[in-house]
Amino acid sequence: MLSFRAMPRAPTADSRFTEIEGHRPYLVRYALSQLRDPVLAEEAVQEALLAALEGIGKFDGRSTLRTWLTSILRFKVIDIQRRQVADRARVDIDEERLADEHEAWLDEMFDETGHWKSPPQAWNDPEAALEQRRFWMVFEMCLEGLPAAASRVFFKREVLGEDTPVICSEEKITSSNCWVILHRARIALRMCLERNWFGHEASHGR
Amino acid sequence: MADEVEDLSCRKASSLLSLACERPLDATELRALKMHLDECLMCTNFEQQLKFLHRCSEAFREG
Repeated sequence: MLSFRAMPRAPTADSRFTEIEGHRPYLVRYALSQLRDPVLAEEAVQEALLAALEGIGKFDGRSTLRTWLTSILRFKVIDIQRRQVADRARVDIDEERLADEHEAWLDEMFDETGHWKSPPQAWNDPEAALEQRRFWMVFEMCLEGLPAAASRVFFKREVLGEDTPVICSEEKITSSNCWVILHRARIALRMCLERNWFGHEASHGR
Repeated sequence: MADEVEDLSCRKASSLLSLACERPLDATELRALKMHLDECLMCTNFEQQLKFLHRCSEAFREG
């Protein structure tokens, strides 16, 4: 992480910088959901963060800092999308393989009688987790652990709240494949959160 | 009536719960799902977790 040792500094500028930097993982995820390409996503975030640092005086606190940063990033993303219009025809979700893989993946989650192999537990006071910084690190890690397409589709659907038909057409996939991707993402995320945060083992380790 | 309702497995029930986040379920699906949830604590937990994932994602956007 960042080190400020022995560096003379203006505390307000530094704390602003640290605060803005703290939103980077979210912003990268946002950019990835829109751009797919990690290099371009990184470029967009970098440009947005620089613009944010320069324009921090314009942040009036009427929205959250994250919302403000996202609105700057959105413009950077649109710029890059314009540059890569030709490239967007590329399809990177193989629809036929997806359907086969989905059944095979579910075979791993459920036994032959259709019961959960790793049964969902009751989570103790999940709302309280939302207030904890470490929970968000776990959440980001779990999102990061999803396959790229699943992570992108889940982010658009649940985080950005886009409608499924919009997502399907952006991703150029059928709605049933969109549902398949979302279903798998949800099961994978719930397992990851249970293993690393809500589960009995995870809470004893805290 | 009741014998017309398909007896759901957890595999199918969880898939309907996830589908319900995308489109309204029809009457048959709802009836079958409700019967399953009445007896299955694991899928009831899964249903709660889906709701939490939704709230959590919204909170993630706000930062």
